[in-house]
Amino acid sequence: MGAYLGRGERYPAVEAGCAVRLVAELRERLRALVFRPREEREMDEELQTHLQFETERQMATGFDPVEARRRAHLRLGGMERVKEEVRSARGTRALEEAGQDIRYSLRTLRRHPGFTAAVALSLGLGIGANTAIFSLMDAVLWRTLPVDDPEGLWAVGDRFPYDGFRVLEADDTVLAGAAASVRVPLNVSIDGSLEPTAEGLLVSGRFFSLLGVPPAAGRAIGLEDHQVPGGHPVVMLGDGYWTRRFARDRSVVGRAIAISGLPYTVVGIAPPNFAGVEVGTAPDLYVPVTMQSAVMPALGNRPNAITGQFRVLARLRPGVSPEQAASALEGPVITWVTAELGTRLSPEMGDRATPARIRLAALNLWPGLTPAAAGFSELRDQVSRPLSMLLFVVGTLLLIACANTANLLLARATVRRRELATRLALGAGRSRLMRQLLVESVILAVLGGTVGLAVAYWATHLLVAFMSIGQTPITLDLRPDLRVLGFTALVSLATGILFGIAPAVRATGFSLTSTLRGAVGLGGRRRGWGPDRMLVVVQLALSLVLLIGAGLFARSLAALNNRDFAFDRDRVIVVRVEPQASNTRSRARQGAAGLDRLYRDLLDRVSALPGVVSASLAQFTPSNRMGIERQPTTPSGEVVSLHIPMVYPRYFETVGVPLVAGRDLAARDLDADSAPVAVVNETFARQFYRGGSPVGQPCLVNISPSKRPCQIVGVVRDSAYADFTGDIVATLYQPFLQTAGNRGQMALHVRVAGEPAALMPSIRTMVAETDPTVPHFEARTLAEEVSGVMIRERLLATLASVFGAVALALACVGLYGLLAFAVVGRTAEIGVRMALGASRGDVVFMVLREALLLLAVGGTVGVLIGVAAARLAGSQIEGLLFGLDVIDPVSIAGACVVLVLVATIAAVLPARGAAAIDPTESLRNG
Amino acid sequence: MGFGRADLLQGTLEMLVLRALALEPMHGWGLAQRIEAMSNSVFEIQQGSLYPALQRMKRKGWVRAEWLQTENNRRARYYSITAAGEKRLTAERAQWERTSGAVNGILQWKRGVL
Repeated sequence: MGAYLGRGERYPAVEAGCAVRLVAELRERLRALVFRPREEREMDEELQTHLQFETERQMATGFDPVEARRRAHLRLGGMERVKEEVRSARGTRALEEAGQDIRYSLRTLRRHPGFTAAVALSLGLGIGANTAIFSLMDAVLWRTLPVDDPEGLWAVGDRFPYDGFRVLEADDTVLAGAAASVRVPLNVSIDGSLEPTAEGLLVSGRFFSLLGVPPAAGRAIGLEDHQVPGGHPVVMLGDGYWTRRFARDRSVVGRAIAISGLPYTVVGIAPPNFAGVEVGTAPDLYVPVTMQSAVMPALGNRPNAITGQFRVLARLRPGVSPEQAASALEGPVITWVTAELGTRLSPEMGDRATPARIRLAALNLWPGLTPAAAGFSELRDQVSRPLSMLLFVVGTLLLIACANTANLLLARATVRRRELATRLALGAGRSRLMRQLLVESVILAVLGGTVGLAVAYWATHLLVAFMSIGQTPITLDLRPDLRVLGFTALVSLATGILFGIAPAVRATGFSLTSTLRGAVGLGGRRRGWGPDRMLVVVQLALSLVLLIGAGLFARSLAALNNRDFAFDRDRVIVVRVEPQASNTRSRARQGAAGLDRLYRDLLDRVSALPGVVSASLAQFTPSNRMGIERQPTTPSGEVVSLHIPMVYPRYFETVGVPLVAGRDLAARDLDADSAPVAVVNETFARQFYRGGSPVGQPCLVNISPSKRPCQIVGVVRDSAYADFTGDIVATLYQPFLQTAGNRGQMALHVRVAGEPAALMPSIRTMVAETDPTVPHFEARTLAEEVSGVMIRERLLATLASVFGAVALALACVGLYGLLAFAVVGRTAEIGVRMALGASRGDVVFMVLREALLLLAVGGTVGVLIGVAAARLAGSQIEGLLFGLDVIDPVSIAGACVVLVLVATIAAVLPARGAAAIDPTESLRNG
Repeated sequence: MGFGRADLLQGTLEMLVLRALALEPMHGWGLAQRIEAMSNSVFEIQQGSLYPALQRMKRKGWVRAEWLQTENNRRARYYSITAAGEKRLTAERAQWERTSGAVNGILQWKRGVL
């Protein structure tokens, strides 16, 4: 009676303590795994003992020792089999097999270092590029501020005026607190010596408490520093500045440093990893906003009112929704704005400033509340679109790398057919083989992922440095967080599994006997579009798409760069100069006239420096387009933009803008009572004087305070600044005192004869001597300024080119691999052909023909994909280009040429290899 | 088809091993002999299936093993039953009686009896 029914039934009494049992069982399994060698020894000894006992019993029944032993073995039934079953019963089989697979795979990979390196490198490049871009996007776009409860932070628009902030600060119905901050450059001296310009942050009283950021040492700036304007000369150090400048010496708390000539006490140090609320920047010093007039003399004694620049954050009271808060605050804000606008605009707008109009303007100025968990960022606005584009590019790159890997794996699997067939014949299960091959590709992918992480780390820092050219250095928290690491791990694993499956399946699905007999040989695939050829075509197509993209962005950048800016970028230094209260010059020291005297004094001194060819002042720089804007109507009825900046004489010659008619402004035009004059650019002449010379004609736009008629005295060449990608705007250059505008900050432009870097310190000293309260801005060459403005275009062009080149390299490696492999596989056939009379040239042609075929198909597919992508994403890409259509024939043609050239070179090597085949050798080896 | 030496399925073997070990601890070979003797030689134990079964039971905590000296001063691995094993034996025994009772019932079922 053998059948024992009830195998599937439960044992209710034994289910109690199920969990305990499982834990105990798991412990047993682990123990068995760890002590495996000992277990094997004991099992062997146990079975040997068993055999002895049985042998003795058989001998007792009358058999001789040899026969007894044989019978004992029979009764036990196959020693190895029993051992296998015991091993199976240990419950560690899966883990043991996994361990074996890993060890075997590692050995195999070590035996073929070239292959392993090729795969690890190409995967590493692909994964690394993706991780780098993703990491950047994470740091710039998504990462939340390192503060308490970032999701509870709400921003009031992008920027908000300080007085408006005071209205919010006073609210206690819907808000649980509000804080304001603004970045300012600071003129710092430590122990009497002038320091480089420091990045400062003016903060309101609740800044640190609202964010929940405790000081790392000393105390944080708080409400006690927010009482009396000008009465709190205290400062907090940023962590980076404390490290760089004070070597993390805690005794600095309590010392004094000088800002704009006044001593400030260091009261505390900000914690590490806190870098203000603007992503991409890191303040060196934190100063209470009540000290604003002392550190930012240009703004006079009140932080800028209507057009304010503050970043304002607030938290809501419990139970209040953002919409409730926004509408509750609307009233007080509008009241304030109305009052302000009323007093400020009425003189200028006269009777156009009706209460209704003012109220409408006020409503428009209230931005409501927006979530601010990720803080503010100018950098974000600049690079978010290029970065998204780049993500697409690197995604394509990864695809190419994966295709390469898959091809390499396929090729290897085919080469190993004999080995796999032997293993199958020896009894390995097909699934076991596949598992082992999969483990190999996963290990390769993990290797690639590790290389990728290293590449990403290096690339990210390089990228940030690159983006920082020409502007204040960008500071980002680039530590890889879980998101980025998880992303990398996911991509690596997915790659390994995805592109290891197909080769693994193919490798184990072939006929045993024919392979062992060698009938198929090593070549494997013959005619027909097998996966290997398809993969190479895909690689070629995708790299063509990337090359086209690279061509587009590179041409766009070149066009921008070569655009006739009509100014000389390399020999001109630019320094911003913002003396006391120059922001509203009517309130400046002794008014506009006083400022003018200061500027003229500065110009005289700087012009006297050795090495200086000429010096002048202008209101604007390439990164900062200041000046009055108007929208007048041309005689032909068109409404155009008009830019009216202030300049000093010799500006045009300093910067290198040629004069095409008339004369430049002269010293005599600068007096307040001289006749109002102006210089215009060619676009102005074209728009307003339609071809005729405007010299001597009236200005057509009157903005001088004296309202006397103004006369045009000269015309200069068009020159683009600040908005390089836009059209040139009509410009009317006016002397400083003759403009009725409100601002008085200027930028010093100095043309030098030698190296600009040599003269920068002297120029800064000169500015300091002229007015010690002027905050020190960094002196830069015009070239650096321009580069800083073109950050997007530079980023795209450089990276697209780099990635395009890498993609091309990968695709060519793939092509080379395929062709070389095919030559090896068809060695016998080639031998036969040559024996039958084919020349070496014919053989070379045969290989090249294959390459050209693949190129043709790949190229066509690539162009089609490129055009389709351009159609789909056209609007996105157009905004990033200058002077080109998205479907640019030159770029496409150029990319094709490059692809064909490089790929042909890649194909020549295998072709030569084929030509070098010795027919007799090949026929003998078959 | 004759009813010669019968074969045992895995679950039954475990139950018999537990029963044998409940009487006294034994090493593997001794266990095989004992079960054969206890069954009046009806069951011929596949010696090769004994060791995997013992390994499984050891993993599940129903038996424990230790190396001891036999009467002839040889080293052998002795298995003994644990408390959990005793519990398992009781449960298996109850299940066996239920099942075999049911099979007996079916075999003795006469026509017409409802």
